[in-house]
Amino acid sequence: MTSLTVESPATGQLRGSRATPWLGILIVLAGWELAGHLLTAAFVLAAPSEVIGYLLREWQLMGRALWTTLGNAAAGFLIGNLAALLLAGVALLWPRSERIVTGLALLVFCLPLVATGPILRVFFGPGSGPQIILAALAVYYTTLIPLLVGLRAAPDSWFDLVRSYGRGRFAALIHVRAMAALPYFFTGLQIAAPAAFLGAMVGEFTGAEKGMGVLTIRALRALDVEMTWAVATVATAVAILAYVAIGSLARRVLLSDPPVILATPQSARTQRTAWWDAVLVTLLALAIWTSALWIFNLNPFFAKGPTQVFDALFIAADAAATRATLGGALSETALFLIPGYLTGLVAGAGLAIVLVLAPALSSTAMPLAIALRSVPIVTTAPLVVLLLGRGATGTITLVAIMVFFPTLVACLHGLRQTPGQVLDVFDSYAAGPVTRLIRVRIPAMLPAFFAAARMAVPASVLAITVAEWLATGSGIGSLMALSASLSDYDMLWSSVVIVSALSALGYGLVGMIERRVLATYAPEQLS
Amino acid sequence: MAPDRTPPPEVICTGLAKVFDSGTEAVQSLDLTFAAGQTTALVGPSGCGKSTVLRMIAGLETPSSGEVQIDGAPPAETLRKAGLSVAFQDPSLLPWRSVRGNIELALSLARRPIDASAIDQLIALVGLDGFGDTRPAALSGGMRQRAAIARALATKPGLLLLDEPFGAVDELTRQQLAQDLPRIWEAQGTTTVLVTHSVSEAVLLSDRVIVLSPRPAKIVADIDIALPRPRMAEMVRETAATDLIEQVFTALSDGMAAADRPLAAQ
Repeated sequence: MTSLTVESPATGQLRGSRATPWLGILIVLAGWELAGHLLTAAFVLAAPSEVIGYLLREWQLMGRALWTTLGNAAAGFLIGNLAALLLAGVALLWPRSERIVTGLALLVFCLPLVATGPILRVFFGPGSGPQIILAALAVYYTTLIPLLVGLRAAPDSWFDLVRSYGRGRFAALIHVRAMAALPYFFTGLQIAAPAAFLGAMVGEFTGAEKGMGVLTIRALRALDVEMTWAVATVATAVAILAYVAIGSLARRVLLSDPPVILATPQSARTQRTAWWDAVLVTLLALAIWTSALWIFNLNPFFAKGPTQVFDALFIAADAAATRATLGGALSETALFLIPGYLTGLVAGAGLAIVLVLAPALSSTAMPLAIALRSVPIVTTAPLVVLLLGRGATGTITLVAIMVFFPTLVACLHGLRQTPGQVLDVFDSYAAGPVTRLIRVRIPAMLPAFFAAARMAVPASVLAITVAEWLATGSGIGSLMALSASLSDYDMLWSSVVIVSALSALGYGLVGMIERRVLATYAPEQLS
Repeated sequence: MAPDRTPPPEVICTGLAKVFDSGTEAVQSLDLTFAAGQTTALVGPSGCGKSTVLRMIAGLETPSSGEVQIDGAPPAETLRKAGLSVAFQDPSLLPWRSVRGNIELALSLARRPIDASAIDQLIALVGLDGFGDTRPAALSGGMRQRAAIARALATKPGLLLLDEPFGAVDELTRQQLAQDLPRIWEAQGTTTVLVTHSVSEAVLLSDRVIVLSPRPAKIVADIDIALPRPRMAEMVRETAATDLIEQVFTALSDGMAAADRPLAAQ
C-alpha cells in the first residue's frame, strides 16, 4: 500500500506566515459586508452586521439549537471514531482483510445521507438516533483512512530495532506503530470533527424537533434571509473552530503539525484482484444487508432487502416505470453533477498553479483554503442557493465549491512536492517559469490532483443530493426525499442502492485513470 | 564494570547462505568465526551481502541454509536475553523521542534499569553534550548516527553489531569516534562485528579484517591487525598501519578481479 501524505502546510515555508490568514479573513468579511449592503433589495444576502444583529436578538433560540446539534455531533463523533479504531484494529491483526475493510467502508461512505436519513428516521422514530448515526457515518471513514496510513507509516528499521532487543509485535505496536500513527489519527479527527457536525445537521433535516438542521429548514421555508445566513455562519464557525481546536491539540501533543493526508492509499494490486475485491465487497455488503434486516426483524413495509430491490427494479409490474423514473432523475442529476465536478477540479488546479506562479498570494490564500476545506458544504448549501438561485447555476456552483477546496489544497501540496534539484537543473538551462511549470511542476502535481479527484466523487454526490433535496426539487436527491415523504420505500431503497453503486463506481473509474497516469508520472507511488 | 553486563560471546557461522525471495543470492556458504571479545570488520564492495550477514547474526534474518551460533545457541536465545545491540545504517531514532528518550527506550525494551547518569555519560562520550533533550529532527545526520551508537552501547551488550555506523559522520568526527569508541567496548568487553567499506576505519578499529568478494559474498582474505592499543587516529598514517591498509586494498581488488568485476568497471 502506498499513500499520498505530505507535510503539514503550516510547517516549512509557511511557518513564518502564521498571521497572514487574518488578512484574508478581513478581506472576505469586508467584501461580504459591502455585498450585503449593495444587495439589500434582492433578499439574498445578509451582511455580517445583520447576522450579528440577528444572533444578538435570537441568541437563546440559536444557543439551544447549537447545544442540541453539538451533543448529537459529539455522540456521533465518539461512536464513529471508535468504529474506525475497531476497523483499523481488524485490518492490523489480519492484514489480508484490509482491502475488504476499506472496500466496505467506502461503500458505506457512498450511501447517500439524504436517503439513509429518512430510513433511519422511520427506524428510530422521533429523537436523536438518526442524527447520531449519521454523524457517526460521516466520521468513521475520515478517521479510518488516515489511521490505516499511519499504522503503516513506520519504516521497517524501527521494527528491526524492537526485534533486536528481543521484543515482539506487542512491544512494536505500543512503542512504534501506535506512536507513529498518532499524527495521522489526529489528522483524521481534525477532518472528522466538522464532518460529525454535518452528519448531525443532515440527521436533523429528516424531521427532528430541534437543532441547527431544523433551524436551517425553517429559515429556508420562511425565506428568512437573515436567519439562513445566521445559521450558516454559526455552523461554519463551529466547523472551523472544531478543526482549529483539534489542530492545536495535536500540535500540543505531537509538538508538530499533523500531516495532511490527501487521499486514500491506492493499493498496488493488479486490475484483476481489484475486480475480485469489488465482487467480494459487493457480496459481503449484500450479505450484511440481508442479515441486518433479519436480525433486527424490521417491518418489511419500509425495510427492503436486496431481493425486494431487485424485484422492484426488474420484475414487478411497474418495474419499467420505476426504472424510467430513476433514470430520469439520475440524468437530471448528472446534468449538473458532471459540469460542477469538472469545474471544481479545473478551478482548483488552475488556482493552485496561479498561486505557485505568484507565491506572495499563496501565503494568504493557502491557510484560508485549508480552513474552508473543513466547512461542511451542507451549511453553505442554502446560501449558494439563495445567492445563485434554484436552477442550474446554483447547483453547479455548489458542486464545484465542494470539489474546489480539496482540489486546491491537494494541488498546492502537489506543486510543492516538485523536487528542487530538478528545478535547479531547469534553471541551469535558463528555462523560463512557463517551461518549468509545464515540464516539471504540473507532472509533479498530477498524483495529488488525481487523489483529490477520486476523493471528490462521493463528496460531490453528497453535495448535489443535499442541494436537490433542500432546494432545487429536481434530480435523484429530490426523488429520494419525495419517496421518503410518500413512503414509497421500494423507490427509496432502489435509489440508495443505485446512488451508492454509481458513486463507488465513479470513485473506481477515477482510480483507474489515476493508476494509468501514476504509472508514467509517479511509478514509486504504485510499488 | 557493572554486574548487569553480558559476557562477550563467541559467534560461529557455518555454511551461512541467504537467497532472498526475489531470487537474489546475497550470501553463499560462508564459514566465519568471531572470537569472544574481539572486534572484527567485514569489508567488501557495496551490495556484497555483508549487511545481510550482520542481520543473520542479529537474528533479524533467517538463513536459507547453514546456521549462526552465539556461544553454542541460536541468535533467538541471545535476543531473548537482549544480549546484543545493533547500530543500523539508518540511525532509526524514533522522531517523537529525544536523544535521551531513544536511549531510555532501548533500555526499557531490553528490560534494563534506567540509570540517568550513565546515559548522560554515554551522550557526552559520543560528543552530544547538551543535546540529550533534543529530538532527532533537529540533529545533523552525523549527530543522529552518534546518538544511535550511544543507544547501541547503552544496554552493555555482549555482542555489538555495527552496520556502517559512521556513514554520515564527517571525517574529523569519524576519526575521533574511531579513537574513542573502541575504549568503551573494550572496557565493557564486547564481541564486536563492524560492517564498513572504509578500509582505514576497518584497520583502525579492528583486531581482524575479513575481506569479502562481490555478491554472493565469499571470503577473499582474513587479515590480523596486530597494531597496539589504544590506537590513535594519527596511526593510520604510520607505516605499520599503511602496510595493513595496502594489504586490505589489494585483497579487495583481487576479489573484484576474481569476480570478473575490476574496480575500474565499478
